Amino acid sequence: MSSVSDTDESKSRLERIAGYLLDATVLERIGIAVGATAFALLIGLVIVALAGYDPFRFATQLVVGAFGSERAIARTLRFSTLFVLAGLAVAVAFRAGVFNIGVQGQFVVGGIACVMSIIWTAPYLPTGTVGGVLLIGIGVVNAIVFGGLYGALPGALKAYAGANEIITTIMLNFIAIGVVGWLVNGPFRGEEATSVRTEQLPDYVAFPQVVFSDPNFSVVGFGIAVLSVIGVAFVLTRTRYGYDMVTSGYQATAARFSGVDSKQTIVATMTLSGMIAGLTGAVFAIMIQGSYTDPAGIGNYGFDGIAVSLLAANNPIGVVPAGILFGGLESAGSHIQIRSDVPVQLINGIIGLVVLFVAVPELFRMIGARMGLGGDDR
Amino acid sequence: MSTDNSTAVRLDGITKRFGDVVANDDVTFTLEEGTIHALLGENGSGKTTLMSVLYGLYQPTDGTIVVDGEEQSFASPRDAMAAGVGMIHQHFQLIEPMTVLQNVVLGHEPTKNGLVDEEAAREEITQISDRYGFDVARHLDTPVRDLDVGVQQRIEIVKSLYRGADVLILDEPTAVLTPQEVDALMEVMDDLRADGHSLIFITHKLDEALSAADQITVLRDGEAVGSVDSAETDERGLARMMVGREVLFDRLEREGEPGDPVLTASDLRVSGDRGVEQVADVDLTVREGEIFGIAGVQGNGQTELIEAITGLRSIDDGTIEFGGRDATEMSRRERIESGIAYVPEDRQKEGLVQEYDLVRNALLGNQTIEPFVDGALVDWPFVADHAESIVEEYDVQPPTTTSEASSLSGGNQQKFIVGREIERDPDLMVASHPTRGVDIGAIEFIHNRLIELRDRGVATLLVSSKLEEVRKLADRVAVMYEGEFVDIVDPGGVTEEEFGLLMTGHGVDEEVDPGPDLGIEDEEVTE
Repeated sequence: MSSVSDTDESKSRLERIAGYLLDATVLERIGIAVGATAFALLIGLVIVALAGYDPFRFATQLVVGAFGSERAIARTLRFSTLFVLAGLAVAVAFRAGVFNIGVQGQFVVGGIACVMSIIWTAPYLPTGTVGGVLLIGIGVVNAIVFGGLYGALPGALKAYAGANEIITTIMLNFIAIGVVGWLVNGPFRGEEATSVRTEQLPDYVAFPQVVFSDPNFSVVGFGIAVLSVIGVAFVLTRTRYGYDMVTSGYQATAARFSGVDSKQTIVATMTLSGMIAGLTGAVFAIMIQGSYTDPAGIGNYGFDGIAVSLLAANNPIGVVPAGILFGGLESAGSHIQIRSDVPVQLINGIIGLVVLFVAVPELFRMIGARMGLGGDDR
Repeated sequence: MSTDNSTAVRLDGITKRFGDVVANDDVTFTLEEGTIHALLGENGSGKTTLMSVLYGLYQPTDGTIVVDGEEQSFASPRDAMAAGVGMIHQHFQLIEPMTVLQNVVLGHEPTKNGLVDEEAAREEITQISDRYGFDVARHLDTPVRDLDVGVQQRIEIVKSLYRGADVLILDEPTAVLTPQEVDALMEVMDDLRADGHSLIFITHKLDEALSAADQITVLRDGEAVGSVDSAETDERGLARMMVGREVLFDRLEREGEPGDPVLTASDLRVSGDRGVEQVADVDLTVREGEIFGIAGVQGNGQTELIEAITGLRSIDDGTIEFGGRDATEMSRRERIESGIAYVPEDRQKEGLVQEYDLVRNALLGNQTIEPFVDGALVDWPFVADHAESIVEEYDVQPPTTTSEASSLSGGNQQKFIVGREIERDPDLMVASHPTRGVDIGAIEFIHNRLIELRDRGVATLLVSSKLEEVRKLADRVAVMYEGEFVDIVDPGGVTEEEFGLLMTGHGVDEEVDPGPDLGIEDEEVTE
């Protein structure tokens, strides 16, 4: 009927709903995440039943596939390691209000830098454990440096040329995947490689097998992820650089008021995010691949990291449980794919449903907070 | 016109709770028909909440609403509107790219053969507008965003009248207006009253309540302290009701003389966000133990000037010297470190991180200063102690450092910011609208702190759109108009009227020329 009343009314209602979502406490958010996961799985089971498969068997296999055996747990932790690291890379940037969608590209650049630096320096170093440790160190450092540089680039473009980081990082993803794809099929291709890939890393360049004996998982890899989380959490909460970054993310105007140079902070944030993404690439290359293949086919850890970070409300500590949940789903998915006749599309759809349910509320929260909704003006 | 002494609105025992917070506690309020009733109170005293209950935005927890003798239960503003209650919000509810005509009729379009009958609308709006001498009619096809705030406010009023409102609620209508526009608004309110409308005028300004209203109801902490006839009270009496004690209003004489210059800005030129020059060739000097005031209608370059001095905005030309050093090229951070404190204009956006608690907010601006930080590491226990002492010394309510900044009322947020900035032990304090939107008790408190700072020898640059504030505190006052200082005067030697002239760009001794390019005459035409 009337516009004043309509705008008032709908505005106040919108603000009220937004308020619930945006002002949720940590505990409420954990509740939202757990509830959303359970609800999404429930819907998934209904879909499985409607498609003519046994939902109980599916549910059992979901759990068994994620945590049912030593092998399953190792596989879950393998995926989790990468999800935690990639999620952490995204979370650092999001926390500081920079939307780094380019973790995938930085991950690829870091991975190839790691592999090639090891391959090229291996002849000059001793073999065996000492050489292995040195080479891993060299590979990891190179991955971090190149990943960081590849993140700094869009950061500098945003800070000094005003280029939207979402667009530049997405484009840089394509560039990284394309160029590295060409490299591993051309100049970097291993001489004896039968498929498109670099030479193999020397077999002494590997993380030691502790607790689990899975060729593609080492507790050391997971340890690196956890240590990275602790390190980032420390930087963000205990150092003035972290305070500058987080304050920029919460309220850029207040950060400016307090003397934060927004341009430097954007570049620093993107660099740090890229460094973690590069580290993810190194862990992936050393722990799982042992060489480098065409990056178009190695999995979208960088993109999945966005969902992990959103699920964790961009909290670095929260990335660990979120990463493990995603690792479990991924692991269960690959298990079910082999052990049951449920089509892979359906499995991925259900995993997608979980992602949608748990991550999207946080996405809306961030968008809402950017638009100035939520909060109490009373 | 309706009969005298009949009741237009009666709110009886209204209680409104939000969770544990009681915003209104058993408030009874009566609006007589054909009168103006001021609702006076500090920020956070529950004025707007009470009126939102009347306007159907909130449902009361308890109590009854009677409009025109009928008990009402408004589920939404739509119901309130139907009962003849209209509200003009502090933040206008206008759609900026749409024209005035479209805004007024929106949702109430007169139709002919299923199409909007623009002619009928045009005629009716013109009628309303002429009746009250508004200049809205000639702007009917202008997008709202191109009109100034005063006109926008009148569009809001026309909009309510167009929808048939008898009772008009005006929420802090003067907050956004210049003194001249305030006068014009008062005339409009008089006309509306003469025409039989009943008005509720929400304000926290005593003089406005006294001059505009027939009756005044004072709210304090969500309770109605009392209702008085405005003819039977004065500012002191109202102030006492508002804060529960006497408040000082007089200009305080200073002891001691200002010392050496601390801040010297020469030939300063600064551009605004859109690249248009906002500060044109300003020179200023602030000395030790001096409060240098800058008065003027907002938007005449004060913001840009302050931001240039505090290091938040780069300058186009000129030099800034601070403490004997050239500070022209210093970054914001270097300026903080060298002893410039800044109480920003926008406390919500700049002065505090809303989602941080007060401990984390106590670090804001101190990130590079020992002992808040030791190298790269933040000494959180020290920061927490510091936050604690600010809360204690500056009387921040509630007295806890763990609450989020956003949960504090405006006045308490401001006290915290003022405390943090003063505790920085600055050589120069830049205070921009330090008491805007702050209740009267906190105003007095902040003023006293600024005076203490002055007596300690700190140089202070004070920008305020409140004339009485600048006059009370400043030793010298520059009046800014269109990016320039019109004059620098001794506040004791200039009357309020003379200030008013200066603020519109005239010199004190200058004859007011009714020529076409001068603000005053034009303004009267537009109002």
